[in-house]
Amino acid sequence: MRGFRYLRAVDPAAALQAAGTPGAAFIGGGTTLIDLMKLGVESPETLIDVNHVDPGAAIEDLPDGGLRIAAGARNSDVAYHSSVRARFPALSEALLAGASPQLRNMATVGGNLMQRTRCAYFRDVAVGECNKRAPGSGCAAQGGWTRMHAILGGSPRCIAAHPSDMCVAMVALDAVVHTQGPRGARQIAIADFHTLPADHPEIETALEHGELITHVTLPAAPFASRSGYVKVRDRAAFAFALASAAVAVDLHAGRMRAVRVALGGVATKPWRSREAEAVLVGQPARRSSFEHAAAAALRGADVRPDNEFKVKLAQRALVRALETVVGR
Amino acid sequence: MDSSRDGSRRAPSFTLRCGREPPVSLERFGGQPIVLALCTGPLATSWRGDVALERGAVRDDDGLGAVRAELRGLGAVLLLVFDDGALCFGPEDEAWSIGPGDARDAADRAAMRARYGVSPGATGLFVIDGERRLRFSYIEVAPRNGTLHTIAGALSATGHIDMSRFTLSRRELVVSSLAAAFALTLIEAPVRAAAPAPAVEVAPGEVEVTLQINGTARRLRVDPRATLLDALRERLGMTGTKKGCDQGQCGACTVLVGGRRVNACLTLAVMAEGAPITTIEGLAGGPALHPLQTAFIACDGFQCGYCTSGQIMSAAGLLAEGHAQTDDEVREQMSGNICRCGAYPNIVAAIQKARKEL
Repeated sequence: MRGFRYLRAVDPAAALQAAGTPGAAFIGGGTTLIDLMKLGVESPETLIDVNHVDPGAAIEDLPDGGLRIAAGARNSDVAYHSSVRARFPALSEALLAGASPQLRNMATVGGNLMQRTRCAYFRDVAVGECNKRAPGSGCAAQGGWTRMHAILGGSPRCIAAHPSDMCVAMVALDAVVHTQGPRGARQIAIADFHTLPADHPEIETALEHGELITHVTLPAAPFASRSGYVKVRDRAAFAFALASAAVAVDLHAGRMRAVRVALGGVATKPWRSREAEAVLVGQPARRSSFEHAAAAALRGADVRPDNEFKVKLAQRALVRALETVVGR
Repeated sequence: MDSSRDGSRRAPSFTLRCGREPPVSLERFGGQPIVLALCTGPLATSWRGDVALERGAVRDDDGLGAVRAELRGLGAVLLLVFDDGALCFGPEDEAWSIGPGDARDAADRAAMRARYGVSPGATGLFVIDGERRLRFSYIEVAPRNGTLHTIAGALSATGHIDMSRFTLSRRELVVSSLAAAFALTLIEAPVRAAAPAPAVEVAPGEVEVTLQINGTARRLRVDPRATLLDALRERLGMTGTKKGCDQGQCGACTVLVGGRRVNACLTLAVMAEGAPITTIEGLAGGPALHPLQTAFIACDGFQCGYCTSGQIMSAAGLLAEGHAQTDDEVREQMSGNICRCGAYPNIVAAIQKARKEL
């Protein structure tokens, strides 16, 4: 691990001030960053510990029925929070489907939004070609072992899958990411927060250097309480998704008035499928509708022999998720 | 450059008059420790001209916010004297400005600099204790930029020192901590800066941390890169916590931090400061074994034993969290702990046995 300067910020202003330094990185739970620093993939010159900027790191009900989650809230605290379980169940289910209990106790919401890919080529500095790690160096995954890679949202420069479960649920719940930066505060819709690799896989979010995530809000959407998360993985627990689906449905007299569909494990970013949503809205909540939606969601898939199975797997995960939530 | 940590020297007295306000002097601050910085340049440019000098509401983007944030709670006064005025921050974060004033006020500042031995163009940094003794002094004849960031860094290091575990009076501790932190930050900085460019890895200095391990404060200096796992094993000789994968996947290093199970291999030691840490050595809290330890023995919940301390600490977290009742739930909740011998059925049995007994 490369050496770094460690600074502990006591409030957001101090964190922002320190973040102006080139090579500075914020650290929350550290479960991604410390791991990548040990691997030599990340080498910040300054680490700014933001675990003390918001002492309560609270999860609060908002007067309008929404929820405010501090960036420093731990994954386990969010997952077991009574409001999250009752009114935003997809988020609780996604968090509990992720990582291990130890890691969930450490990982923060802000850090999970910034989680980096598990692409084996990205994580191995002995591999010379990785446009995400070394822009312009190439992509070893193209023509490589791609079983864990993305089939949606890739580009010739990068097909690394986004690893987060939490973010997929947040996409289905219309979450809003709130930040403080050198140019003030702003709000970023979760669907716009992560960026597609296109020509710049090294850019993964809409954040600017030095911009700090302060909290996330979940709006009181009519579909939020009928939401859920289905994850398919190689082991029964503690494994990244091969495919996952977060769905949220506003069900009225057997028909779906509003729907959110998001996929994980199959795309380069937490993937909102507006195609699937368009198929479902206004339709009766039955299996044939779900299957049509699943077909629409994967229509643009760009598969390789190693990951062709993900098309059906994702479709079935989506159908299962929809069946589960409408059956509740 | 001249520096000392001579505990016996009296702090030179000074008076900074400011209109009809009571003058700022050593006496004004009672027995409070004072961090005194004699800076070069005019106040306005030092603060990029955007200081809104209202009581308690100073804006800045030049390090002052960080300094104030660090001072908050330390119970010390910060007095910054510039060529054309001064800023003072009280221990409750109240702020006031002095000057620029007239020729008399400028004479006050010049006299103060002379008494502290800080020539025009130089900067000086001093820590004065409640007894008016000069506990730290540092004068730089050719000052570098970023004085405030330096102060903030030193104060930040002070903040890392846990005050609760010492018998010294709090103020004495503040003063000695400030002095030590300034000494480290300022005196070592030029030495480090003179090192060759970091073409290869260079360790940018150790930090002092106090870890609360099994009810005992353990003070040590660590490289910021040191994980809690390595600090426990390599620095404190507490080898009960095991290193397996060293990347958060096997759980052999599980300890409780703040009562919650975490992977010590992905926790920086500096980040674990302040929170109570429980390791396998302290789980029982006495000569008798913890019920989980007894249950692991009774159920034969191990073979080679390498993962066992992590398994037991994880199980302690599981029981405290209270989310697992059934065997399936126990298995899911223990998914962060790998056992290569495959003792899983007995581990589940041991945890269920302990859960029912506790």
